[in-house]
Amino acid sequence: MRFWSLDIWTLDILAAVSLQDFIAELDSLAGEAQDAFTGAADRDALEAARVEFLGAKAGRLKAVQKGMGKVDKTDKPAAGQKLNSVKKAIEQAFEQATGRLSASDGKAKQDAFDVTLPGTPVRVGRLHPITQTIDRMKEIMGRLGFSAVEGPEIEDDWHNFEALNIPLSHPARDPLDNFYLSTATKTAGAGAGPDGKPLLLRSQTSTVQIRVMEQCIANAVASGAQPPVRIVSLGRVYRPDTADATHYPMFHQIEGLLVDKGVTMADLKSVLRMFCQSYYKRDTDDGSQEDVHIRFRPSFFPFTEPSVEVDINWQGGWMEIGGAGMVDPNVLRAVGYDPEEVTGFAFGMGVERIAMRQHNITDIRDLYTNDVRFLAQF
Amino acid sequence: MIVSKNWLSEYVDLKMPLDELTERLTLTGLNLEGVETVGKDTAIDLEVTSNRPDCLGHIGVAREVSVLWGTELKKPDPQPKASGGKASGEISVEITCGELCPRYTARVIKGVKIGPSPQWLQDRLKALGCGIVNNVVDVTNYVLFECGQPLHAFDLAQLKGGKIIVREAKKDEEFTAIDHKTYKLSPGTCVIADAERAVALGGVMGGADSEVSDDTVDLLIEAADFDPLSIRNTARAHHLHSPSSYRFERGVDPEGLDWASRRCCELILELAGGTLYDGVVEAGAKPEPTGDIKLRFDQIPRLLGIEVPDAEVRKILTDLGCEETHVCDHCVKVVPPTWRADLTREADLLEEVARIHGYDQIPEDVGVRMAPSSRSRRDIVLDRVRHVLTATGFDEALTLSTVEPEQVEAHRVWTEEPPLVTSTPVLRRANALRQSIVPSLLACRKTNVAMSNPVIEQFEIAKLYLPQPGQLPDERLVLAVASGRGFLDVKGVLEAVVSDTVGHTKTLCATGSASAKNLSSTLLESSRTAWLSLGDVKLGYIGELSAKGLDQFDLRGPVTVAEIDLGPLLDGAELIPRASALTNYQPMSRDLNVVFDEAVQWADVEQIVHTAGGELLESLAFQEVYRDAERLGKGKKSLLWSVTLRSSEGTLTSEQADEVRDAIVSGLSKKLGGELRA
Repeated sequence: MRFWSLDIWTLDILAAVSLQDFIAELDSLAGEAQDAFTGAADRDALEAARVEFLGAKAGRLKAVQKGMGKVDKTDKPAAGQKLNSVKKAIEQAFEQATGRLSASDGKAKQDAFDVTLPGTPVRVGRLHPITQTIDRMKEIMGRLGFSAVEGPEIEDDWHNFEALNIPLSHPARDPLDNFYLSTATKTAGAGAGPDGKPLLLRSQTSTVQIRVMEQCIANAVASGAQPPVRIVSLGRVYRPDTADATHYPMFHQIEGLLVDKGVTMADLKSVLRMFCQSYYKRDTDDGSQEDVHIRFRPSFFPFTEPSVEVDINWQGGWMEIGGAGMVDPNVLRAVGYDPEEVTGFAFGMGVERIAMRQHNITDIRDLYTNDVRFLAQF
Repeated sequence: MIVSKNWLSEYVDLKMPLDELTERLTLTGLNLEGVETVGKDTAIDLEVTSNRPDCLGHIGVAREVSVLWGTELKKPDPQPKASGGKASGEISVEITCGELCPRYTARVIKGVKIGPSPQWLQDRLKALGCGIVNNVVDVTNYVLFECGQPLHAFDLAQLKGGKIIVREAKKDEEFTAIDHKTYKLSPGTCVIADAERAVALGGVMGGADSEVSDDTVDLLIEAADFDPLSIRNTARAHHLHSPSSYRFERGVDPEGLDWASRRCCELILELAGGTLYDGVVEAGAKPEPTGDIKLRFDQIPRLLGIEVPDAEVRKILTDLGCEETHVCDHCVKVVPPTWRADLTREADLLEEVARIHGYDQIPEDVGVRMAPSSRSRRDIVLDRVRHVLTATGFDEALTLSTVEPEQVEAHRVWTEEPPLVTSTPVLRRANALRQSIVPSLLACRKTNVAMSNPVIEQFEIAKLYLPQPGQLPDERLVLAVASGRGFLDVKGVLEAVVSDTVGHTKTLCATGSASAKNLSSTLLESSRTAWLSLGDVKLGYIGELSAKGLDQFDLRGPVTVAEIDLGPLLDGAELIPRASALTNYQPMSRDLNVVFDEAVQWADVEQIVHTAGGELLESLAFQEVYRDAERLGKGKKSLLWSVTLRSSEGTLTSEQADEVRDAIVSGLSKKLGGELRA
């Protein structure tokens, strides 16, 4: 330090300093002052640095300032300007350093408070992606006037087959395609339904539709009315598939049902389109929404006639989203509706398939392994 | 059903581009599965729904094309020349099981020369992926794929006694099939037998010793109809699925038997020579002709929501092969063709009109009537429960509804009934419908531990299946949690669940498991397990895992689990809370530190505090339990808590607050032997 001061003093006695040298001198001084202030660990060190650079009598800035007299007259305005800006910068650096030290003042001897440490973690759990998908479907169907209903997962022959127009000879009843139930021990009647026929894990949520329609008719029995039904049923269904990336013996279904006077297949198509437009809300580049269209392909289900597969337009092609149709007159009659009075439509979709496509899930088994790292993604 | 494009073009004009052909077939019921080039031919794979067996042959598909494009269907009319003697002189046919085989027909050809099929025939079958055998067997396959009627050719010389007897299999009867495997049969299976033994599994597979071989000279050509259900059972039981069983399972055209038989004989005469004997030997009867079906024109807009001109309706039906028997202003009556057994009702005809007219004609933007709907109580309450759990750091899991039977036995909490079991395990060994979700969540925990996941806090809302003989089981909706936190932490979460649902009227009570009779679980540490209830209503349990429980799931403790019945919460939840007026006078609080015997439980203390505190007691906050044998004495503990007091009539004075405190202390002293410590 001493050595440097001496050096500057030497400058002072030299004649005719060039502007260039003067500016270089100032720049170097500014840099050193900045380093000294930032490096000051406490108030004493900062004060020493202040005296060295900004001291009113022997400060180094003062010394350089004196050298301005030796600058060529024409260069003086430029030199003055530079001097002012450097002075300002050094003073600013000093203020910052003062602020920094006073912030930790009083605690200086204790631990320094580090605002950059992470906040105290709050663990917020996640809902299962299937629950989230179901919630969204219910919400949209709710806005379209369909109320969500639930029904038993274990069903009797009537609700799973007979009332759904699936007669005894139908392949859908095959023991290899269903989970029929019994009890391990021979308790009389266990594993059989009220009709004495074996119970089974439901293979579709259409069973709930039967229960709801039966209930509606029973409630209206006095008046003999044919009350409208407008529901979605959701829940677990079971089919003996070998588990692989796209199959699991348990999955979820959403089924919609509308029974009323004058319900047509055009209503079915329009409701499905509104549902898909809400569910697959797609924004195009110009901010408008891409149009969703519904395509029907003929199909075959025992409980609807006509029966169709439902596609929506997807990435330039068509994507199958489920099955649908007009409620078969045999089904309406089975639960007490008169197919000459009312008509109805029904549709069903697999929840897993839709959730998987939407969330980029490639293996259905991941949904039921419940690895917390997997669940944390939704 | 794989269709050869070259072959199909024999029956119908196929000038349209392939894409247009497959697109329209897809939109009218024959869904395109794939297209493949095979040599100079194109194999088109079409999905045929189970109600449309008529499309399991080229002619059936050609008929659809002819209807859609309005072109002519060119169906061959086989008239093979019979130059031999009477067929009935060579063979007799008898059916003894009419329910398994309603009709059986046989023709006889003698003096054939077995050899390879000509190239064109081989190419056709290869395009479908069908194996090549010899000219006779290939012809039977050809006709099957042409019209959908399976046929079988027997080596006539191998049939003993000149007899065909169609009968039910005897118990444990043995049969060696073309694949040279021996099958043990059971009643309910239809066999084709000669005078001595079964020579074919009817409609499913031929027998090894009557098959057509290079040495065969004389043939019996079988064309028959079999009961779909019996064919399905037989094919399933013996894992013998074939193009033949596939078609019989779905039903063949009863009127098509004779056409197929004639067509087969015509082609054999052409390709293998020989002499056809005169006539057909048959047994059984053709089904009664079906009556006509009425389609009312006004049903079309009523169901489809669109109008289709009457003339078009009639044309569609007749093009499809229906015979019109009546037409007037408001309806048409038709007799459906015999190959369309699926057409029996008005709704079926309506569907035909819809699919041929085109589902694309149905609008997708009609104004569907509005209707009110509201969220169910169940959904609202379950949402609240899920919110509490996610907010307290639990992830939702979904697990399989069945478990391995041992898992039910290890943890019996809700019922003593044995579990319902599925006929085949739902997954691996899991065939027991679960009676608790806790074991499933512990299995998830094990998986997560194996992945070294640090924080595993999970819950599930699902059903238990509690058997009720003669009725549907009680499907009880429960909430289960499995946590790495302690008993009181998890209890706190459950208290929050209760308070967020039925908290306005009820609080969660816990009683030690010693008083619980039904608890039979090796998973739980009984000294750290409690029954939970809401007043008198049993709600569930909470407990820490026992060493055995931890061991069973390869876990290192502590693990706390709980399971509560959601029924009482769904029933009792207050969906629309009502406000009550607040008091604006300042509260007073008092801390209490009272020494009790170890046996004294907080719940009893709490109750006395509430009683003694009376109306002025606004809230009660437990702080801690303190034990110090030297200062408090052995077998003693001190409980610390504070009470907040407030009056609606004015600010309480210090003296009033002390009075309440004293009343509490004296109550505790009298009833529980508590001594004020400070």
